[in-house]
Amino acid sequence: MNHRLDGADAPYWQSLEAGQLQLPRCASCRRWLWPAGHRCSTCGSIGMVWEERPLRATVYSWTRTWHRFALTEALDLPYVSIVAEIEDCGIRLMGRMDDPSPDDPAIGEAVVGRIDRTRVGDDAIPTIIWSRAA
Amino acid sequence: MTHPLYGTTAVAGVGLRQFKRGASPLPERSLLVEAILDACLEAGLNPAEVDGFVSYGDDKNEPVRLMGDLGTRRLAWSASVFGGGGGGIAGAFGLAASAIISGQAKAVIVFRALAEGASGRMSAAVMAHHLNDHLLAAGLVSPAQMCAIRAQRLFKHYGVSQSIVEDLVRASYHHARNNPEAVGFGQDFDIAALHTSRWIAEPFRLFDCSRENDGAGALLLVSAEQAQDLAKPPVYLLGCAQGTEAGWGDLLENDADDLYATGGFRPVARDLYRQTGLSPADIDCVQLYENFDAQGVMSLIDHGFCTYENAAEVIRFDNLIAQGGKLPVNTAGGNLAQGFIHGIGLPIEAVRQLRGESANPVSGARTCLLAGGPGAPTVSSAIFANKVL
Ligand SMILES: [Zn+2]
Repeated sequence: MNHRLDGADAPYWQSLEAGQLQLPRCASCRRWLWPAGHRCSTCGSIGMVWEERPLRATVYSWTRTWHRFALTEALDLPYVSIVAEIEDCGIRLMGRMDDPSPDDPAIGEAVVGRIDRTRVGDDAIPTIIWSRAA
Repeated sequence: MTHPLYGTTAVAGVGLRQFKRGASPLPERSLLVEAILDACLEAGLNPAEVDGFVSYGDDKNEPVRLMGDLGTRRLAWSASVFGGGGGGIAGAFGLAASAIISGQAKAVIVFRALAEGASGRMSAAVMAHHLNDHLLAAGLVSPAQMCAIRAQRLFKHYGVSQSIVEDLVRASYHHARNNPEAVGFGQDFDIAALHTSRWIAEPFRLFDCSRENDGAGALLLVSAEQAQDLAKPPVYLLGCAQGTEAGWGDLLENDADDLYATGGFRPVARDLYRQTGLSPADIDCVQLYENFDAQGVMSLIDHGFCTYENAAEVIRFDNLIAQGGKLPVNTAGGNLAQGFIHGIGLPIEAVRQLRGESANPVSGARTCLLAGGPGAPTVSSAIFANKVL
């Protein structure tokens, strides 16, 4: 399909395409590993298994972008990007936050995600869009 | 046991050419050649005798292409520090010194050249080094945004007062005001301009960000012994450390929790002080790479000048200026106000300061710390001195 299937994180992109979030952990010691790689630095084992995680996270940090940077043409300004710490596994993922309210996101705030796409040129990259948990 | 890098090499000459972005009257490589010629002229060394070159940050000027203009007789050694940002700037001096100490080269130019026409926007080049679909999907496509998201954590999680970055910015412009080579020369900086400049990526407004210039800088490094015989007083390299350690790197924002709101210098600063036997108390002034002001604050914290808790006591305008401050920082104006050629102005100011040639002389300064680009996956720092302590 595309370059997203060339790397160690191909199953991540495939899972988003399929409407869920899968993240990798060491097949041997079960440690969550991100970025996806080839070998577990804790126990030295080769090989990962991919497990589904719920789209629930907390805000680790965030920024609201006002400047029109190249490659962001498809996004309405301003937009909020967050680093989301996924529940129960500690892996942090970059995504965007729905920003209907003028309130700033708060570090530690609970968010829930849905999978959408981000247009960059001719590409449409699967993206987790986070919203404040009800 | 003295470390092999300690006082064994010295900067013998510097050259700097700087213009407004997009306004260089010369092609990039010609600017670089001019800067190298200036550095050699200062030192009284025939440029044809330069036999080594090192750069950082993906500089596109492969040294072999300079040979014609410089009349290079023998290109014995050339190298570059990995990494797309300014993280490698100080590491380039360690690399140059290694080549000299090990006999691979005798006269090494450390350089960086950047003109928008030839190299494009530096910020874009730095990002091209890192960009992937994770970043693109989040709309995170620039160093400003990546540093902003770290700065938020510094301010909102660690509670460092955002007002201290103003003191760093004010000190930079204060120094630039006296420096005829600086973008901010002769200008009174109104701090209100910082508050009212447009948002880039929160918490950064335009004046929180260093803005790129066209230009080139070159520093000539030779053995300490040879430096004694050249025209300018030697400025010795006392130590240099680079790299990172587990828990920091190109990790898709998965750096260790206690490192996330740092500049990435903890292992580098630790090794640098251990190597030289010096401590923050021995540093008389700092040339601090501040791509963004908050990252400058992180860098000062990483290097042990203050902590998250007491940053506001140390990072004060009066304390940061050359005229009486205990921690004079960016005495030529720094990337923010002197000009930004991927940081190469900083080691040049370190050298000038230690020769007593700075536009803002620090009385009695013997040592100067150069801190490379904070927040990069690999970073570096070095200490220079005007005598081997
Ligand atoms: Zn393992």
